[in-house]
Amino acid sequence: MTRRMLTALVALVGLFVALYLWLYKAGVIGTLACGAGSCETVQLSKWATLLSMPVAAWGVAFYAVVFAVAFALVQDRFQGSGKLSLTLLVLTTWGVIFSLWLTYLELFVIHAICRWCVVSAVIACVLWVLAVVDWRRMRREAGLSV
Amino acid sequence: MVNPSGGRKSKVTAARRDSKRPFYILLAVLLVAGIATIGYQVSKPAAQTVFTMDSTIQLVANQGHVLGSDTALVEVVEFADFECPACGNFATLTEPDVRTRLVNTGQIRYRFMDFPLEGHANTRAAHNAAWCASEQNKFWEMHDAIFQSQDRWSGYATRRPLPVFEGLAQQVGVNVPQYQQCMSSRKFAGHIQSNYDEGLRLGVGSTPTFIIGTKKIANNMSYDEFKKHVDEALAVARAQRSAGTKSAAGTNAPALDVPREAPRRP
Repeated sequence: MTRRMLTALVALVGLFVALYLWLYKAGVIGTLACGAGSCETVQLSKWATLLSMPVAAWGVAFYAVVFAVAFALVQDRFQGSGKLSLTLLVLTTWGVIFSLWLTYLELFVIHAICRWCVVSAVIACVLWVLAVVDWRRMRREAGLSV
Repeated sequence: MVNPSGGRKSKVTAARRDSKRPFYILLAVLLVAGIATIGYQVSKPAAQTVFTMDSTIQLVANQGHVLGSDTALVEVVEFADFECPACGNFATLTEPDVRTRLVNTGQIRYRFMDFPLEGHANTRAAHNAAWCASEQNKFWEMHDAIFQSQDRWSGYATRRPLPVFEGLAQQVGVNVPQYQQCMSSRKFAGHIQSNYDEGLRLGVGSTPTFIIGTKKIANNMSYDEFKKHVDEALAVARAQRSAGTKSAAGTNAPALDVPREAPRRP
């Protein structure tokens, strides 16, 4: 199992988490399995919508794109693609920054924690770490081949 | 003819394909599990939230805070927790319409009952604050202010909610020294517990829970859903009245011994 395969699998998990939250926001799922957290407080706050779209829908789009890029990198024809590796790094860096912003809002503005949002933030961080490792390795290999 | 280099190439391709097999298997498992979980969440039957009350149970008679006319045909009772997000949503999104269209038009009378849940750290203080405001005929103003500022005083926001409540009390026009005295004496703790006990007696297990006519609805509702239940209760009450029987309102008509406030326009 390579890090790119792992990236694709983790992105798929993130996609399902974001999809679950989006379906709740859209009213398709009645209640969130949230335990002691305050998922509904977070999901029903004004911060749960961005540019007229639920934040969770942006999450679905983000994870879908990350999954597609990682899946492509697994394929033989894109194995040596530095551009795709950099794309993955840029995407996941954006994901981490956005997740940090959302976590800040939960802790200091909304004053409620949604455990599914925390799971998503952790997934975004894992994807970023994998993307950094992948990109550094690509650069090292490119340096060696020169 | 055998091509040795072609054979080597096909072996390499096969080896690569084999090395990816665990990945594709895991991917397929994840896909199936994810789709199945989401599918189950979407299609699972919703927990039952509407119950028919046992007709032998005497409904709430003289507790809580009442808004609306004594002559209204139907009384709606809400058991709520000030720190519950769903109660906050109902109070801020649906209740204004309920007051304007149903309470102020004389169709229903609305009774608020305290049901502070154990898991909510600051809810008892919130209920006390509302009662202390009710002593100065400001219950509903304080009720609205408390729900609207849930994010500022809930257990997630602070361990010291009292200064927030005091600010809200001042904002709604309560005499603060009198309010402070009331809060420190906790004189309404017994009333709050009594309302809670009444909820338990009626089988309330979550908030918000509404009793509308003979229906107990354990869920947050949109205005349209709320109105549907009210219309059904009104139809029954009208039929009973025209049949000369005791009206639905009569079955739980209040004989109030606690602060009761005149209807007001929200």
